[in-house]
Amino acid sequence: MNNTPRVLNRILIGILGVTLLAFGVLLVLLATVPAVGVWWHEWAGSVLNFWLDLFERTQFPRRQGSWLWLVICFVLVVVLGLMVAWIAQQGKGRTSLLVAEEDPGDAPGNVGIGHGVAEQALRAALADRPDLAGVTVAAYEIKGEPSLRIWVEPRQGVAPHALAAEVSSLVEALDAVIGKRTPVLIHIGSGARSRFGRAERVR
Amino acid sequence: MSQDTQNAGLGSGAHDADAVPGSAPLGSGAAGMDRILKRETHSSRAVVSVIAAALVMAVCGYALLETAVQAIGQPPWLVDPQTAAERVVALPAGIGPLLLVVTGAVIAMVGLFFFLNAVLPGRRARHLLPDRRAAVVVDDEVIAAALARRARLAANVSQEQVMVVVSRNRVMVNVRPTSGVPLRPDAVLDAVRHELQEMGPWPMPEVRIQVSTAGVVGA
Repeated sequence: MNNTPRVLNRILIGILGVTLLAFGVLLVLLATVPAVGVWWHEWAGSVLNFWLDLFERTQFPRRQGSWLWLVICFVLVVVLGLMVAWIAQQGKGRTSLLVAEEDPGDAPGNVGIGHGVAEQALRAALADRPDLAGVTVAAYEIKGEPSLRIWVEPRQGVAPHALAAEVSSLVEALDAVIGKRTPVLIHIGSGARSRFGRAERVR
Repeated sequence: MSQDTQNAGLGSGAHDADAVPGSAPLGSGAAGMDRILKRETHSSRAVVSVIAAALVMAVCGYALLETAVQAIGQPPWLVDPQTAAERVVALPAGIGPLLLVVTGAVIAMVGLFFFLNAVLPGRRARHLLPDRRAAVVVDDEVIAAALARRARLAANVSQEQVMVVVSRNRVMVNVRPTSGVPLRPDAVLDAVRHELQEMGPWPMPEVRIQVSTAGVVGA
Protein backbone atom coordinates (compact mmCIF):
# COMPACT_ATOMS: atom_id res chain seq x y z
CA MET A 1 0.00 0.00 0.00
CA ASN A 2 2.97 2.32 0.47
CA ASN A 3 4.84 3.84 -2.43
CA THR A 4 7.78 1.46 -2.55
CA PRO A 5 9.10 1.51 -6.14
CA ARG A 6 8.44 -2.14 -6.89
CA VAL A 7 9.41 -2.20 -10.55
CA LEU A 8 12.66 -0.37 -9.79
CA ASN A 9 13.37 -2.82 -6.96
CA ARG A 10 12.94 -5.77 -9.26
CA ILE A 11 15.03 -4.27 -12.06
CA LEU A 12 17.94 -3.36 -9.78
CA ILE A 13 17.83 -6.67 -7.91
CA GLY A 14 17.69 -8.46 -11.25
CA ILE A 15 20.74 -6.58 -12.59
CA LEU A 16 22.71 -7.37 -9.43
CA GLY A 17 21.59 -11.00 -9.50
CA VAL A 18 22.54 -11.58 -13.14
CA THR A 19 25.91 -9.89 -12.62
CA LEU A 20 26.76 -11.98 -9.57
CA LEU A 21 25.50 -15.14 -11.26
CA ALA A 22 27.66 -14.54 -14.32
CA PHE A 23 30.70 -13.74 -12.20
CA GLY A 24 30.25 -16.85 -10.06
CA VAL A 25 29.80 -19.11 -13.09
CA LEU A 26 32.90 -17.54 -14.66
CA LEU A 27 34.96 -18.33 -11.55
CA VAL A 28 33.76 -21.95 -11.53
CA LEU A 29 34.53 -22.31 -15.25
CA LEU A 30 37.98 -20.76 -14.80
CA ALA A 31 38.80 -23.36 -12.19
CA THR A 32 37.40 -26.34 -14.09
CA VAL A 33 37.73 -25.72 -17.85
CA PRO A 34 41.30 -24.90 -19.07
CA ALA A 35 40.07 -23.46 -22.39
CA VAL A 36 38.11 -20.78 -20.55
CA GLY A 37 41.32 -19.86 -18.70
CA VAL A 38 43.13 -19.24 -21.98
CA TRP A 39 40.30 -17.11 -23.34
CA TRP A 40 40.05 -15.16 -20.07
CA HIS A 41 43.77 -14.48 -20.08
CA GLU A 42 43.59 -12.95 -23.53
CA TRP A 43 40.40 -10.96 -23.07
CA ALA A 44 41.00 -9.67 -19.54
CA GLY A 45 44.64 -8.97 -20.39
CA SER A 46 43.64 -6.71 -23.26
CA VAL A 47 41.09 -4.92 -21.05
CA LEU A 48 43.75 -4.37 -18.39
CA ASN A 49 46.21 -3.05 -20.97
CA PHE A 50 43.58 -0.64 -22.23
CA TRP A 51 43.10 0.73 -18.73
CA LEU A 52 46.81 0.93 -17.99
CA ASP A 53 47.23 2.85 -21.22
CA LEU A 54 44.42 5.15 -20.20
CA PHE A 55 46.10 5.82 -16.84
CA GLU A 56 49.35 6.60 -18.65
CA ARG A 57 47.65 9.17 -20.86
CA THR A 58 45.82 10.90 -18.00
CA GLN A 59 48.80 11.95 -15.90
CA PHE A 60 48.70 15.28 -14.09
CA PRO A 61 50.55 17.94 -16.10
CA ARG A 62 53.29 18.58 -13.59
CA ARG A 63 53.38 15.86 -10.95
CA GLN A 64 53.27 12.08 -10.75
CA GLY A 65 49.91 10.22 -10.83
CA SER A 66 46.78 10.05 -12.94
CA TRP A 67 43.71 12.20 -12.43
CA LEU A 68 41.59 9.23 -13.52
CA TRP A 69 41.70 8.02 -9.90
CA LEU A 70 39.80 11.11 -8.84
CA VAL A 71 37.21 10.45 -11.56
CA ILE A 72 36.78 6.88 -10.30
CA CYS A 73 36.43 8.19 -6.75
CA PHE A 74 33.72 10.56 -7.91
CA VAL A 75 31.85 7.79 -9.76
CA LEU A 76 31.97 5.55 -6.68
CA VAL A 77 30.65 8.36 -4.49
CA VAL A 78 27.79 8.85 -6.95
CA VAL A 79 26.98 5.11 -6.87
CA LEU A 80 27.01 5.17 -3.06
CA GLY A 81 24.66 8.14 -3.09
CA LEU A 82 22.29 6.38 -5.49
CA MET A 83 22.23 3.30 -3.26
CA VAL A 84 21.35 5.46 -0.23
CA ALA A 85 18.60 7.09 -2.29
CA TRP A 86 17.30 3.65 -3.30
CA ILE A 87 17.10 2.51 0.32
CA ALA A 88 15.34 5.74 1.24
CA GLN A 89 12.63 4.97 -1.34
CA GLN A 90 11.50 1.82 0.50
CA GLY A 91 8.26 2.04 2.40
CA LYS A 92 7.67 5.74 1.88
CA GLY A 93 4.29 7.27 1.25
CA ARG A 94 2.96 7.89 4.76
CA THR A 95 0.98 11.05 5.05
CA SER A 96 -0.27 12.96 8.03
CA LEU A 97 -3.36 14.51 6.46
CA LEU A 98 -6.49 12.52 5.76
CA VAL A 99 -8.41 15.39 4.21
CA ALA A 100 -7.02 18.69 2.93
CA GLU A 101 -9.48 20.93 1.16
CA GLU A 102 -10.17 24.59 0.69
CA ASP A 103 -12.88 25.96 2.90
CA PRO A 104 -15.74 27.09 0.65
CA GLY A 105 -17.15 29.39 3.37
CA ASP A 106 -16.45 33.06 4.06
CA ALA A 107 -13.38 32.55 6.20
CA PRO A 108 -10.20 32.28 4.15
CA GLY A 109 -7.99 29.21 4.55
CA ASN A 110 -7.89 25.48 4.18
CA VAL A 111 -9.36 22.65 6.19
CA GLY A 112 -7.08 19.78 7.10
CA ILE A 113 -7.99 16.66 9.04
CA GLY A 114 -5.05 14.72 10.39
CA HIS A 115 -4.88 10.94 10.21
CA GLY A 116 -4.85 10.93 14.01
CA VAL A 117 -8.60 11.61 13.93
CA ALA A 118 -9.33 8.36 12.14
CA GLU A 119 -6.75 6.50 14.16
CA GLN A 120 -8.04 7.65 17.55
CA ALA A 121 -11.68 7.08 16.59
CA LEU A 122 -11.12 3.57 15.28
CA ARG A 123 -8.81 2.57 18.10
CA ALA A 124 -11.30 3.79 20.67
CA ALA A 125 -14.12 1.89 18.96
CA LEU A 126 -12.14 -1.33 18.83
CA ALA A 127 -10.36 -0.97 22.16
CA ASP A 128 -12.53 -3.09 24.42
CA ARG A 129 -12.97 -6.07 22.15
CA PRO A 130 -11.62 -9.28 23.63
CA ASP A 131 -11.17 -10.90 20.22
CA LEU A 132 -8.56 -8.42 19.00
CA ALA A 133 -4.90 -8.44 19.92
CA GLY A 134 -3.97 -5.23 18.18
CA VAL A 135 -5.13 -2.42 15.89
CA THR A 136 -2.98 -0.04 13.85
CA VAL A 137 -4.29 2.72 11.62
CA ALA A 138 -2.09 4.61 9.18
CA ALA A 139 -2.73 6.99 6.30
CA TYR A 140 -0.89 6.66 2.99
CA GLU A 141 -0.90 8.81 -0.06
CA ILE A 142 -1.82 6.83 -3.17
CA LYS A 143 -1.41 8.87 -6.34
CA GLY A 144 -1.95 12.10 -4.44
CA GLU A 145 -5.07 10.81 -2.74
CA PRO A 146 -4.92 10.01 0.97
CA SER A 147 -6.16 6.57 1.90
CA LEU A 148 -6.48 4.70 5.15
CA ARG A 149 -4.95 1.40 6.07
CA ILE A 150 -6.45 -0.41 9.05
CA TRP A 151 -4.44 -3.34 10.32
CA VAL A 152 -6.35 -5.61 12.69
CA GLU A 153 -4.83 -8.54 14.49
CA PRO A 154 -7.54 -10.92 15.72
CA ARG A 155 -6.98 -13.71 18.19
CA GLN A 156 -6.93 -17.24 16.83
CA GLY A 157 -10.23 -18.61 15.63
CA VAL A 158 -12.03 -15.32 15.00
CA ALA A 159 -14.04 -15.41 11.78
CA PRO A 160 -12.40 -12.84 9.48
CA HIS A 161 -15.54 -12.01 7.47
CA ALA A 162 -17.51 -11.10 10.59
CA LEU A 163 -14.64 -8.96 11.81
CA ALA A 164 -14.30 -7.30 8.41
CA ALA A 165 -17.99 -6.46 8.34
CA GLU A 166 -17.82 -4.87 11.79
CA VAL A 167 -14.72 -2.82 11.01
CA SER A 168 -16.24 -1.73 7.73
CA SER A 169 -19.40 -0.49 9.47
CA LEU A 170 -17.11 1.51 11.76
CA VAL A 171 -15.47 2.95 8.67
CA GLU A 172 -18.86 3.96 7.33
CA ALA A 173 -19.56 5.75 10.59
CA LEU A 174 -16.19 7.48 10.22
CA ASP A 175 -17.16 8.56 6.70
CA ALA A 176 -20.18 10.30 8.15
CA VAL A 177 -18.02 12.09 10.73
CA ILE A 178 -15.31 13.23 8.31
CA GLY A 179 -17.70 13.91 5.46
CA LYS A 180 -15.53 12.33 2.80
CA ARG A 181 -15.13 8.81 1.53
CA THR A 182 -11.46 7.94 1.56
CA PRO A 183 -10.29 4.62 0.12
CA VAL A 184 -9.85 2.15 2.97
CA LEU A 185 -7.89 -1.05 3.17
CA ILE A 186 -8.61 -3.45 6.00
CA HIS A 187 -5.82 -5.91 6.58
CA ILE A 188 -6.69 -8.77 8.91
CA GLY A 189 -3.33 -10.19 9.82
CA SER A 190 -1.62 -12.44 12.26
CA GLY A 191 1.39 -11.77 14.37
CA ALA A 192 3.20 -12.95 17.46
CA ARG A 193 0.48 -11.70 19.77
CA SER A 194 -2.29 -13.62 18.05
CA ARG A 195 -0.17 -16.69 17.47
CA PHE A 196 1.04 -17.18 21.02
CA GLY A 197 -1.82 -15.54 22.89
CA ARG A 198 -4.87 -17.41 24.11
CA ALA A 199 -7.42 -18.51 21.53
CA GLU A 200 -10.75 -16.76 21.35
CA ARG A 201 -13.39 -19.12 22.73
CA VAL A 202 -16.43 -16.95 23.22
CA ARG A 203 -17.16 -15.56 19.81
CA MET B 1 9.23 -19.47 -3.09
CA SER B 2 7.36 -21.27 -0.38
CA GLN B 3 6.76 -20.64 3.22
CA ASP B 4 5.06 -22.97 5.63
CA THR B 5 4.20 -22.34 9.20
CA GLN B 6 2.63 -24.83 11.50
CA ASN B 7 1.90 -24.72 15.17
CA ALA B 8 0.35 -27.08 17.66
CA GLY B 9 -3.39 -26.70 17.46
CA LEU B 10 -4.17 -24.34 14.71
CA GLY B 11 -1.76 -24.06 11.94
CA SER B 12 -1.56 -22.62 8.58
CA GLY B 13 0.82 -22.66 5.77
CA ALA B 14 0.76 -21.15 2.45
CA HIS B 15 2.68 -21.36 -0.70
CA ASP B 16 2.54 -19.58 -3.95
CA ALA B 17 0.56 -21.75 -6.26
CA ASP B 18 0.24 -21.08 -9.93
CA ALA B 19 -1.47 -17.92 -10.95
CA VAL B 20 -5.20 -17.99 -11.54
CA PRO B 21 -5.86 -15.49 -14.27
CA GLY B 22 -9.26 -14.08 -15.02
CA SER B 23 -11.86 -12.82 -12.60
CA ALA B 24 -11.30 -9.43 -11.07
CA PRO B 25 -10.54 -9.13 -7.36
CA LEU B 26 -13.36 -8.39 -5.00
CA GLY B 27 -13.87 -5.49 -2.69
CA SER B 28 -12.73 -2.74 -5.00
CA GLY B 29 -14.55 0.34 -3.89
CA ALA B 30 -12.54 3.24 -5.24
CA ALA B 31 -10.53 3.81 -8.38
CA GLY B 32 -7.06 3.10 -7.03
CA MET B 33 -8.25 0.11 -5.03
CA ASP B 34 -7.31 -2.52 -7.61
CA ARG B 35 -3.77 -1.26 -7.54
CA ILE B 36 -3.71 -1.23 -3.74
CA LEU B 37 -5.03 -4.80 -3.59
CA LYS B 38 -2.47 -6.00 -6.09
CA ARG B 39 0.26 -4.36 -4.06
CA GLU B 40 -1.07 -5.82 -0.82
CA THR B 41 -1.08 -9.39 -2.13
CA HIS B 42 2.41 -9.23 -3.62
CA SER B 43 5.73 -8.72 -1.93
CA SER B 44 7.38 -5.34 -2.52
CA ARG B 45 10.91 -6.81 -2.34
CA ALA B 46 11.84 -4.00 0.00
CA VAL B 47 13.96 -6.17 2.30
CA VAL B 48 15.87 -7.80 -0.56
CA SER B 49 16.40 -4.36 -2.09
CA VAL B 50 17.92 -3.04 1.11
CA ILE B 51 20.20 -6.10 1.31
CA ALA B 52 21.25 -5.62 -2.31
CA ALA B 53 21.90 -1.92 -1.80
CA ALA B 54 23.92 -2.62 1.33
CA LEU B 55 26.00 -5.19 -0.57
CA VAL B 56 26.73 -2.77 -3.40
CA MET B 57 27.51 -0.04 -0.88
CA ALA B 58 29.99 -2.26 0.96
CA VAL B 59 31.83 -3.17 -2.25
CA CYS B 60 31.80 0.42 -3.53
CA GLY B 61 32.88 1.75 -0.13
CA TYR B 62 35.92 -0.49 -0.07
CA ALA B 63 36.76 0.35 -3.69
CA LEU B 64 36.40 4.04 -2.86
CA LEU B 65 38.80 3.70 0.05
CA GLU B 66 41.48 2.01 -2.03
CA THR B 67 40.98 4.38 -4.97
CA ALA B 68 41.13 7.47 -2.78
CA VAL B 69 44.29 6.20 -1.09
CA GLN B 70 45.76 5.63 -4.55
CA ALA B 71 44.64 9.06 -5.77
CA ILE B 72 46.42 10.93 -3.00
CA GLY B 73 49.49 8.74 -3.35
CA GLN B 74 49.39 6.92 -0.01
CA PRO B 75 50.24 3.23 0.53
CA PRO B 76 47.22 0.91 0.00
CA TRP B 77 45.22 -0.51 2.91
CA LEU B 78 44.89 -4.13 1.75
CA VAL B 79 45.74 -4.22 -1.94
CA ASP B 80 46.22 -1.44 -4.47
CA PRO B 81 43.82 -1.49 -7.44
CA GLN B 82 46.43 -2.28 -10.08
CA THR B 83 47.77 -5.35 -8.27
CA ALA B 84 44.20 -6.52 -7.68
CA ALA B 85 43.40 -6.20 -11.38
CA GLU B 86 46.56 -8.07 -12.36
CA ARG B 87 45.69 -10.88 -9.97
CA VAL B 88 42.18 -11.13 -11.40
CA VAL B 89 43.58 -11.33 -14.95
CA ALA B 90 45.96 -14.12 -13.93
CA LEU B 91 43.10 -15.89 -12.23
CA PRO B 92 43.26 -19.64 -12.57
CA ALA B 93 46.79 -19.25 -11.24
CA GLY B 94 47.52 -17.89 -7.79
CA ILE B 95 44.63 -19.54 -5.95
CA GLY B 96 43.70 -23.13 -5.17
CA PRO B 97 41.23 -24.57 -7.72
CA LEU B 98 38.95 -25.91 -4.99
CA LEU B 99 38.78 -22.50 -3.27
CA LEU B 100 38.05 -20.87 -6.63
CA VAL B 101 35.21 -23.30 -7.35
CA VAL B 102 33.69 -22.81 -3.91
CA THR B 103 33.96 -19.01 -4.14
CA GLY B 104 32.40 -19.07 -7.59
CA ALA B 105 29.58 -21.34 -6.45
CA VAL B 106 28.79 -19.14 -3.45
CA ILE B 107 28.75 -15.98 -5.57
CA ALA B 108 26.56 -17.71 -8.19
CA MET B 109 24.14 -18.82 -5.46
CA VAL B 110 23.85 -15.28 -4.10
CA GLY B 111 23.28 -14.07 -7.64
CA LEU B 112 20.61 -16.71 -8.20
CA PHE B 113 18.87 -15.63 -4.99
CA PHE B 114 18.68 -12.01 -6.15
CA PHE B 115 17.70 -13.02 -9.67
CA LEU B 116 14.84 -15.26 -8.51
CA ASN B 117 13.65 -12.52 -6.19
CA ALA B 118 13.49 -10.20 -9.16
CA VAL B 119 11.69 -12.64 -11.45
CA LEU B 120 9.28 -14.67 -9.29
CA PRO B 121 5.83 -13.18 -8.64
CA GLY B 122 6.34 -13.07 -4.87
CA ARG B 123 2.73 -13.68 -4.02
CA ARG B 124 1.94 -13.27 -0.35
CA ALA B 125 -0.08 -15.82 1.61
CA ARG B 126 -3.21 -13.68 1.60
CA HIS B 127 -6.76 -13.82 0.32
CA LEU B 128 -9.23 -11.07 -0.47
CA LEU B 129 -12.67 -10.83 1.11
CA PRO B 130 -15.72 -9.12 -0.39
CA ASP B 131 -16.91 -6.00 1.37
CA ARG B 132 -19.18 -3.19 0.28
CA ARG B 133 -17.16 -0.31 1.71
CA ALA B 134 -13.51 -1.23 2.08
CA ALA B 135 -10.97 -3.49 0.46
CA VAL B 136 -10.25 -6.41 2.77
CA VAL B 137 -7.10 -8.51 2.78
CA VAL B 138 -6.77 -11.48 5.12
CA ASP B 139 -3.66 -13.44 6.00
CA ASP B 140 -4.08 -17.15 5.25
CA GLU B 141 -3.14 -17.88 8.83
CA VAL B 142 -6.25 -16.10 10.09
CA ILE B 143 -8.47 -18.04 7.67
CA ALA B 144 -6.83 -21.28 8.80
CA ALA B 145 -7.43 -20.46 12.45
CA ALA B 146 -11.10 -19.68 11.82
CA LEU B 147 -11.62 -22.87 9.80
CA ALA B 148 -9.78 -24.93 12.40
CA ARG B 149 -12.07 -23.61 15.09
CA ARG B 150 -15.11 -24.54 13.00
CA ALA B 151 -13.74 -28.00 12.24
CA ARG B 152 -12.96 -28.56 15.91
CA LEU B 153 -16.53 -27.73 16.90
CA ALA B 154 -17.97 -29.95 14.15
CA ALA B 155 -15.73 -32.89 14.97
CA ASN B 156 -16.09 -32.41 18.70
CA VAL B 157 -12.39 -32.81 19.35
CA SER B 158 -9.89 -30.69 21.23
CA GLN B 159 -7.90 -27.84 19.75
CA GLU B 160 -4.71 -29.85 19.39
CA GLN B 161 -6.38 -32.51 17.24
CA VAL B 162 -7.15 -30.24 14.31
CA MET B 163 -4.66 -28.67 11.98
CA VAL B 164 -5.66 -26.63 8.95
CA VAL B 165 -3.29 -25.61 6.18
CA VAL B 166 -4.50 -22.88 3.83
CA SER B 167 -2.75 -22.29 0.55
CA ARG B 168 -3.86 -20.20 -2.39
CA ASN B 169 -6.13 -22.79 -3.98
CA ARG B 170 -6.53 -25.44 -1.34
CA VAL B 171 -7.58 -25.88 2.27
CA MET B 172 -6.31 -29.03 3.92
CA VAL B 173 -8.05 -30.05 7.12
CA ASN B 174 -6.17 -32.64 9.18
CA VAL B 175 -8.13 -34.23 12.00
CA ARG B 176 -6.93 -36.78 14.54
CA PRO B 177 -10.02 -38.34 16.07
CA THR B 178 -10.30 -39.30 19.72
CA SER B 179 -9.70 -43.00 20.15
CA GLY B 180 -12.99 -44.90 20.44
CA VAL B 181 -15.16 -41.95 19.40
CA PRO B 182 -16.40 -42.23 15.82
CA LEU B 183 -15.91 -39.19 13.61
CA ARG B 184 -17.89 -38.39 10.47
CA PRO B 185 -15.53 -36.71 8.00
CA ASP B 186 -18.44 -35.57 5.80
CA ALA B 187 -19.96 -33.56 8.61
CA VAL B 188 -16.64 -31.82 9.33
CA LEU B 189 -16.10 -31.19 5.63
CA ASP B 190 -19.57 -29.70 5.27
CA ALA B 191 -19.05 -27.44 8.26
CA VAL B 192 -15.71 -26.16 6.93
CA ARG B 193 -17.15 -25.70 3.43
CA HIS B 194 -20.09 -23.78 4.82
CA GLU B 195 -17.81 -21.50 6.80
CA LEU B 196 -15.66 -20.93 3.74
CA GLN B 197 -18.71 -20.13 1.59
CA GLU B 198 -19.82 -17.58 4.16
CA MET B 199 -16.36 -16.06 4.22
CA GLY B 200 -16.08 -15.96 0.42
CA PRO B 201 -12.33 -15.50 0.01
CA TRP B 202 -10.87 -14.75 -3.40
CA PRO B 203 -9.51 -16.95 -4.91
CA MET B 204 -11.85 -19.55 -3.47
CA PRO B 205 -9.85 -22.55 -2.28
CA GLU B 206 -11.00 -26.14 -2.50
CA VAL B 207 -11.45 -28.03 0.77
CA ARG B 208 -9.97 -31.44 1.48
CA ILE B 209 -10.08 -33.41 4.68
CA GLN B 210 -7.69 -35.98 6.01
CA VAL B 211 -8.65 -38.05 9.03
CA SER B 212 -5.64 -39.75 10.49
CA THR B 213 -5.96 -43.49 11.15
CA ALA B 214 -4.34 -43.32 14.56
CA GLY B 215 -6.57 -41.85 17.22
CA VAL B 216 -5.63 -39.80 20.24
CA VAL B 217 -5.94 -41.62 23.54
CA GLY B 218 -7.61 -39.85 26.43
CA ALA B 219 -8.27 -36.57 24.71
